Amino acid sequence: MSEYDVLIIGGGPAGLTAGLYAARAGLKSLLLERGIFGGQIVNARLVENYPGFPEGISGPELGEFMRRQATKYGLKTLTTEVSGVRAGNAYEISTSEGNIQTAAIIIAAGAEYRKLDVDGEERLSGRGVSYCATCDGFFLRDREVAVVGGGDTAITDALELAQHCRKVYIIHRRDRLRATKAMQEKAFSQPKIELVWNTVVHEIVGDRMLRNLRLRNVKTGQSSDLEVDGIFIAVGLKPNSQVFSQLVTLDEAGFIVTDELMRTSAPGIFAAGDIRHNSFRQVITAAGDGAAAAMSAFTYVQE
Amino acid sequence: MPASRQPRIIIFTGSSCPWCERVKHYLKEKGLRFREVNVERDRDGARELQRRGIMGVPVVMIGSHPIVGFDKAKLDILLGIRR
Repeated sequence: MSEYDVLIIGGGPAGLTAGLYAARAGLKSLLLERGIFGGQIVNARLVENYPGFPEGISGPELGEFMRRQATKYGLKTLTTEVSGVRAGNAYEISTSEGNIQTAAIIIAAGAEYRKLDVDGEERLSGRGVSYCATCDGFFLRDREVAVVGGGDTAITDALELAQHCRKVYIIHRRDRLRATKAMQEKAFSQPKIELVWNTVVHEIVGDRMLRNLRLRNVKTGQSSDLEVDGIFIAVGLKPNSQVFSQLVTLDEAGFIVTDELMRTSAPGIFAAGDIRHNSFRQVITAAGDGAAAAMSAFTYVQE
Repeated sequence: MPASRQPRIIIFTGSSCPWCERVKHYLKEKGLRFREVNVERDRDGARELQRRGIMGVPVVMIGSHPIVGFDKAKLDILLGIRR
């Protein structure tokens, strides 16, 4: 007999919804989270597209609501990091708090920001290079900054920075943005924002602090320098799937492949949310994945 | 590590900074005491960081050694946290 019917890894919207459904289904459930509950939404000042909140809701508050709702029905939680998973009669998960046995696993460990991997990025991190506009925008009031990326996160960052910075460049490697129409229109109508199309950053230059960016136009191949005091990098996500790579099938980018029932290639292991291949990376779709994964886990445990 | 023997820790934070919350949560969980300086409210704190060329939070100052960002590996080494 395992200690748990289902063990959920990750405390964002996917994991917490899985926990809510699993606990309400009567499964003995434990959720492991390494940091704070809520996942990436704790970075969002306002979540405007989660239905039921017509005025929007702050990310941390929504995360806390989800946690409270799930634990109310008996979901247990533990703050710890998973370092390994072993398959046998049941699964055994190694954590910093010891080993835990479980019949089924729901992987909802999410994804983290991706780096540019260019010269100067690591060295000047915190010295003009940032991955969090809400954290570090404060240091760059009345200065000129650049945001790299073309998705919703990049545009949200640029709009937020434009409130206090003198000028915000959005550097994007394509000739159109990936962000939603509504976000794009906001960006295009903000006079402090200037778009730099078809362009990549190939070096971040500076000694003690960021001095300028070396850019390259991908169409013409021409290089140029851009002097800014800060660069905010928002170029997508990297899945937190390393621990599971020997256990389940991943796609080329490292996301976990599942079927529509959230089943992975390993029996009794399910995946939900941003860690999943082809995820839409929305709070609502992550929550939907979580519910589906818990229902599939229920079926698995019953059999 | 006994509380009396731990090095002096100051965490520089901002007002809407999830990584600051994460790093505080982590140190609390490890039973470490620290002082928090919110640089958006504390001008001297902000100047202290800028003097060192730092333009980001969180910064965990262990003695006089700054760690920029939530760099768990570095924190563990410098604070002797066993995994």
